[in-house]
Amino acid sequence: MTKRIRSKIARGSGELAILSLLAERPLYGFEIARQIGERTGGALNFTLASLYPLLYEMEKRGWVKGRWQANHAGRDRRYYSLTPSGRRQLAPLRKEWRAFFQALNSLAGVSHA
Amino acid sequence: MPDWKKVVLERMVSLKLSLDVKEDVIAELAAHMEEIYENARGRGLSHAVALEVAMQEVEDWSVLTAAISRAKSEEGPMNHRTKALWLPGLATLLGASLLLALTQFAGFQPRLVWVGGMGMLFYWPWLAGLPVFGAMGAYLSRRAQGPIQARLTACLFPALITAVVMCLILPWGLAINGFSFFRLVHFGLGFVNWVALPGLALFLGAIPFLRESNLRTA
Repeated sequence: MTKRIRSKIARGSGELAILSLLAERPLYGFEIARQIGERTGGALNFTLASLYPLLYEMEKRGWVKGRWQANHAGRDRRYYSLTPSGRRQLAPLRKEWRAFFQALNSLAGVSHA
Repeated sequence: MPDWKKVVLERMVSLKLSLDVKEDVIAELAAHMEEIYENARGRGLSHAVALEVAMQEVEDWSVLTAAISRAKSEEGPMNHRTKALWLPGLATLLGASLLLALTQFAGFQPRLVWVGGMGMLFYWPWLAGLPVFGAMGAYLSRRAQGPIQARLTACLFPALITAVVMCLILPWGLAINGFSFFRLVHFGLGFVNWVALPGLALFLGAIPFLRESNLRTA
């Protein structure tokens, strides 16, 4: 049960992280994982195994769209960009997570930990 | 440098996707592993260690294969819509219909209300029970991560179906029996009785489940 909850939280936070990054500019998988790791100081880490099922799921939902194009080194990479539907998910997701952390904070004083 | 496509392909032979989609996935994962390997090499790691770093990205290839097969499955959007809209909507319709049959079977009589000289049967026990099914429809849709439109449609499904049926019947009725103001008003009253009031009752039950208060998890 605990594992299931953890997995759901990780998945939900992953969706928000990916949508937030792609709202800035299109990126390909490796860059998404690298930037999430860097920007969260390593708190959120995506391996290949955790990133792609989530990306494909989001693509299936119509939140992101992948398209092959050459990267700066001239190699073909599948760049993901946010769709209008994905953009619409961003605000409610941010609101949900803000509410979640506020609730957790009021219960467990997370911000003082 | 390893042939990354070969490395990935050998480990994902059971990937159940069409050939072109499978090729795309293999190419994308191979490119990712290649970058990890090159990144590790760029940090001065030996070939063997860099290879190990890249391979550590996937703990269990069979789990990844199954997850990607599921995520890439073409049936997905339909499944999601089915889970978030059609199934909750049909459950609401079934529940509302069963409740109507049950109240009649149990002997609850509809109340006859006179409106401007026209009688209207008011199924109050049924209307009183409808919020439960409206709540159920919206809850099931929300549980399946349905957006607010899907939740609303699911909870109002019986009223919407009735509205469609009535709107289809009206032109036929007018064509067969001829147009009269009385028939139009009678239709309007029927619409209120079978669409507007049940819709309102269903909606009232669904209100708690229309808010975006749940933590989104997939």
